[in-house]
Amino acid sequence: MMEAALQALLQLMLLLAVAPLVSGFIKKLKARLQTRRGPGLFQPYRDLYKLLRKGMVIPGTASWLFTATPYFVFLTAILAGLMIPMVSAEAPLALFGGVLAVVYLLGLGRFMTALAGLDTGSSFGGLGSSREMTISALAEPAMMLAIFTVAIGANSTSLAEIVKAAVGQQWHFLAPSQMLAFAALFLVLIAETGRIPVDNPATHLELTMIHEAMILEYSGPYLALIEWGGAIKQLLLMMLLINCFWPFGLEAGWSAPGVVTGLVYLLLKLAALSCAIVLVETTNAKMRLFRVPELLAVAFTLGALALASTFLF
Amino acid sequence: MMAVCQNLLDNFPGRMRLLESRSANEIYASLDTADLQEVTRSLLTQHGARLVTVFAEDRVNVEGAFYNYYVFERRGDPAYLILRAAIAPEQPRFPSLAVELPGVNWQEREIQDWFGLEAAGHPNPRRVALHDNWPDVHPLRKDFALHQVLPPFEGEQHEYRPTLGEGVFQVPVGPVHAGIIEPGHFNFAVAGEPILYLQLRMFYTHKGTEKLFEHLPIHRAVFLAESISGDSSFSHGTAFCQAIERAADIEVPFRARVMRTILLELERIYNHVADIGAIATDVGFVVANAHAGSLRESVVTLNEELTGSRLLRGCVCVGGVRRDWTRRQRETLETTLGLVEHGFGELVALVKSSDSTRDRLQRTGYLHPDKAKALGIVGVGGRASGVDLDARRDHPYAAYDCLDFRVPVYTDGDVLHRMQVRIDEVRESIGMIRAALAHLPDGPHRAPAQDIPAGRCALGVVEGWRGEIIHWVRTAPGNRLERCKIKDPSVNNWPALVEAVEDNIIADFPVINKSFNLSYSGTDR
Repeated sequence: MMEAALQALLQLMLLLAVAPLVSGFIKKLKARLQTRRGPGLFQPYRDLYKLLRKGMVIPGTASWLFTATPYFVFLTAILAGLMIPMVSAEAPLALFGGVLAVVYLLGLGRFMTALAGLDTGSSFGGLGSSREMTISALAEPAMMLAIFTVAIGANSTSLAEIVKAAVGQQWHFLAPSQMLAFAALFLVLIAETGRIPVDNPATHLELTMIHEAMILEYSGPYLALIEWGGAIKQLLLMMLLINCFWPFGLEAGWSAPGVVTGLVYLLLKLAALSCAIVLVETTNAKMRLFRVPELLAVAFTLGALALASTFLF
Repeated sequence: MMAVCQNLLDNFPGRMRLLESRSANEIYASLDTADLQEVTRSLLTQHGARLVTVFAEDRVNVEGAFYNYYVFERRGDPAYLILRAAIAPEQPRFPSLAVELPGVNWQEREIQDWFGLEAAGHPNPRRVALHDNWPDVHPLRKDFALHQVLPPFEGEQHEYRPTLGEGVFQVPVGPVHAGIIEPGHFNFAVAGEPILYLQLRMFYTHKGTEKLFEHLPIHRAVFLAESISGDSSFSHGTAFCQAIERAADIEVPFRARVMRTILLELERIYNHVADIGAIATDVGFVVANAHAGSLRESVVTLNEELTGSRLLRGCVCVGGVRRDWTRRQRETLETTLGLVEHGFGELVALVKSSDSTRDRLQRTGYLHPDKAKALGIVGVGGRASGVDLDARRDHPYAAYDCLDFRVPVYTDGDVLHRMQVRIDEVRESIGMIRAALAHLPDGPHRAPAQDIPAGRCALGVVEGWRGEIIHWVRTAPGNRLERCKIKDPSVNNWPALVEAVEDNIIADFPVINKSFNLSYSGTDR
């Protein structure tokens, strides 16, 4: 019992600490590719610290939904993060069907954000919420299909079981079904984290925003919670990809050397995946809003093919 | 244009009268307000003329009347025809042309607000230049003192056209925007994402610039002209100086004219390059903006090297330019120009290599050539929609008559082609600067200072990087001005934005807006 609590605590700390670093790394890399120097690697930590100490402006029209949402976003992200193997092949939490719970915890956070966007009555919030719902309604099925592909391989929807199965067959990710599922999940990752070509996380143009439009009214500690929650969500989606498909360096169990090796490998794999994300973001313009569904349809098709091919090969 | 004027005089015998003209390029004639609509119609349809601008002047104290001026031009004719209609102060009313010429909609309403002359028959005679909560004052009348302090404004809010229908929403944006831009209110009616219509409200930065001109000595008014629109400092300054030079018959030395040409084109290059980058940013292709930003930086650094000001301020003066260039400055210009040309080639290749950028820009913000013509659109936006106007070619000034250049015109009218016009123009500009520099003549860089005679009227026209900039002045005793009318191209072009965004989705508005990149300050004055 004590041990389980310690494992959960360790993973919690790692989630909180690593998530802003990944955001900082991606921003830095993007800046370098744009021939800019960019903010320091640790700028997201400074931003969070700054926001946490600031006062808040809460719209007069906002209801309890507005104040509850930051906690929902932050807590669902942490809870989902604890269910994904991070530095070992085990996860500290395994609730209600594993990976399915992860998908729906993220869905809950998104649902609350969309409600909060509508709640303030600002026209930008409404635009953002309607766009976010359109996109997530299409991204979610694609994500489910890709996840079922790996779950079938492991005969379980528990993430720990999936990762252990993957550890057992190191080069399994080269199988056609796994590669298709990886591609589908990568597209979902881009859509879910609001990155180019789906959304532009760095824009100041309210009319073009999706995710940012919903949270425009937030400030101070609430904004910090949402930003931090968003960074954790990005991290856990990336962990889902790298640990299910490239399980190198992960050991079953929680031995100290195993955890350290796992952490080193995790950081390396995160860096590699970040590079892929940044390359996509840098070489593409944002899509026309009405063409985003086409991209997600591609993700869905890839997921469906992946699932079908698990039965063929 | 003289023949056209003669034809009008014959058709309206006794009702039109030729006035004294100081320059062959400005023909003044007076007419009765009652004939205004008929004369305009005849000019537009029979003679293929274009109404350039409309403005008013308060001459009640001197000549007992207000004057309205209507400036016309014809393709292939460097002369302007300026019709003057007297309006009696007892009957402050003139017939509106806005029904047939939507392009004068705002300009006629400016006259209503600033002079208290009613545009009879105007389809939308509400306030435009002074907001609804202003008291009933007319600041450009001579009896309105410059430093008059008005009580705090109270009164009606502006009423927008209502957004009705199920699922139709109103999205108000501004007047305060994110980012470093000026204020303006955009009121969208949207059905989901598609825009049904857009209503604009400008003049949040109205500063009474035209009034201020009447209270400054001319040598200081040049600086005021430079600050009308910050990114067109040199164009506005030059347009103003050209008007004064024409009024005072000042012969600008050829060397100064060539130097002005070079600086005007440098202003065009740095703005066009920045716009190309900004259009790329608005569709999320930020890498192109990084390249455009560094390219713009090298041009404005060159500006500083040549004039001491990154944005070319304090350089133009009545009679020429303030300082001559040394050999070293000319060499810097030549070397930097080579680097800019190379860098620009790379920027264009980068933007064109991105299919996803092209996909966002093509067919976005389409402005039909017929609409562009009807609204009297000028400049980059006009040339992308088939409006073949360029004051550099049509009314040559500075040294443009000695230069060979192409005016790019497209009829596709979308964001992609507004960008293409900019790309073509930068290339032409680089060629023009190179040719001008190779033939930079020796001689003085400014005419000797002289007193400006009073009571003279003249136009100054410059094709700024946005489009046609017009200054009209009437001089006063003591090197001062009686009146200075400023027309920035943005005044004509804002309504085009309204047309261009229709049927587009609201997420594409920023890039459509950026492709016109109009000046708020130049509009509001």
